[in-house]
Amino acid sequence: MSERQPRQAELAHLAGVIARLAGELALAEEPACFVAALEDGAAKAPEEDR
Amino acid sequence: MSERSLVTIAAAIRTRRMSPVEAVGSCLDRVRRLDKRMRAFICLDESGALGAAKALEADAAAGRWRGPLHGVPVAFKDLCHLEGLPTSCGTKTAEYFISSQECTAARRLLDAGAISLGKLNMTELAMGPYGDNAHHGDVDNPWRAGHCAGGSSSGSGAGVAAGFFLGALGTDTGGSIRLPAACCGIVGLKPTYGRVSRAGAMPLSWSMDHIGPMAWTVRDVAILLQVIAGRDRADETSSRHAVPDYLARLEEGVAGLRVGIPEGYFFQGVDAEIAAGVRQTGRLLEELGAHVSEVKVPDPQTILDIAMVITRSEASTLHARIARERPHELQPMVRARLEVGFGISAYDYLQALRLRARLTRSFIRDVFAEVDVLLTPTIPEPAPARAPLKALSADEFNVRAGNFSRLTRPFNAYGLPALSVPSGQSKLGLPLAFQLVGRPFDEALLLRVGHAYQEAASWHHQRPALG
Repeated sequence: MSERQPRQAELAHLAGVIARLAGELALAEEPACFVAALEDGAAKAPEEDR
Repeated sequence: MSERSLVTIAAAIRTRRMSPVEAVGSCLDRVRRLDKRMRAFICLDESGALGAAKALEADAAAGRWRGPLHGVPVAFKDLCHLEGLPTSCGTKTAEYFISSQECTAARRLLDAGAISLGKLNMTELAMGPYGDNAHHGDVDNPWRAGHCAGGSSSGSGAGVAAGFFLGALGTDTGGSIRLPAACCGIVGLKPTYGRVSRAGAMPLSWSMDHIGPMAWTVRDVAILLQVIAGRDRADETSSRHAVPDYLARLEEGVAGLRVGIPEGYFFQGVDAEIAAGVRQTGRLLEELGAHVSEVKVPDPQTILDIAMVITRSEASTLHARIARERPHELQPMVRARLEVGFGISAYDYLQALRLRARLTRSFIRDVFAEVDVLLTPTIPEPAPARAPLKALSADEFNVRAGNFSRLTRPFNAYGLPALSVPSGQSKLGLPLAFQLVGRPFDEALLLRVGHAYQEAASWHHQRPALG
């Protein structure tokens, strides 16, 4: 097996995962929702401005 | 000195039973004697440390106290930029990371009175969980020579465990604080994403990078986190979420807390001693009053694949120049990882970021409706011997490395706080450890549980026999 083959296999696997899951996403789901998920998931606390 | 914690040294300095110069001198003596074996330092700054110690000693004599870390020796992973010292990031290039911005977290520690002994060894470009480095030497495990120290913050983990300094900063993109903490028998905290500013530290993957403290005890880590946490205008991803008093509720114990042990993925293929140690930890927490139960969590493999798309893409984007112009300078396993990133499409990268947000929201909602804290192993086996790893090809090595970090990486993807705490020794004398994971910004609860465990189990009083 050449050194490139595992990398091609890894790329194909990752692309397959994205292809399988991305169809479930709604249009409004954007990357910034990640930070919102953390803030919403925390116990409520006042904001600060250090 | 080597058997004391950050708290006891800070108290000794504050009550004038020890001077900052004595503290630094004692640490430097130990480094001179033992670091030829440990290889924890890339850049030992003896003159800078002694100069700072004298200034802090004069301040103390005049009654001027800079903060809670006045005179306490610490050190920083060599991807933290500090004025006057090169930042190699574990590469062959002495000044790989050039920044006009000092590392905010490091600067906050120094402003609180800590004394920097210098910059610490790490895996090249912070890629890899074992602490091997072809340019600066492989960091040794303080508990058993010839075994890995864990990585990528290898010098931070080994240096604390060897008694070279009382606390250190590490960074964690897939486990790089928790893995060396677990391998070296110390405490390491990966805070919530955004809890600690990343400004002035070499980025590996801006979506997954975290800076956090490493020290002997949970209380020491709490003190360090108190100093470094909080909003920083130099890092737009740092959170405005208020920083609580991490010591205020440290002693409140675990009575009534719901602790969940996720079976399945987190125990499949895990070394028997490690698994038994985690279950023993669960029993001890139960004796202390916690409600410990098994809990189901979403299959981590999905978030791991999504995280892989993100980290590989961002790492290759950030480090494209060295990968394309000077690939011969990189270790084969690092080069192999960067090459994967060049092959990922913008479509896959952006979809991965969108999916990460969705999966994080559902994980927090579902899991923390059932439990307050998750309890898992940190590493799947005690720190392995280095020699067999060296015999592997780059791709074999990366598969093995991926397995070693598979218990920590999910929580970088979810951005959740995760604390690694030592929990005894294997038959070979290598540290065992467990990992606590909590809700976003609930580091205080993890510290409380970890502290309750340490007070009851007392493993943290054991130190490696280094002489």
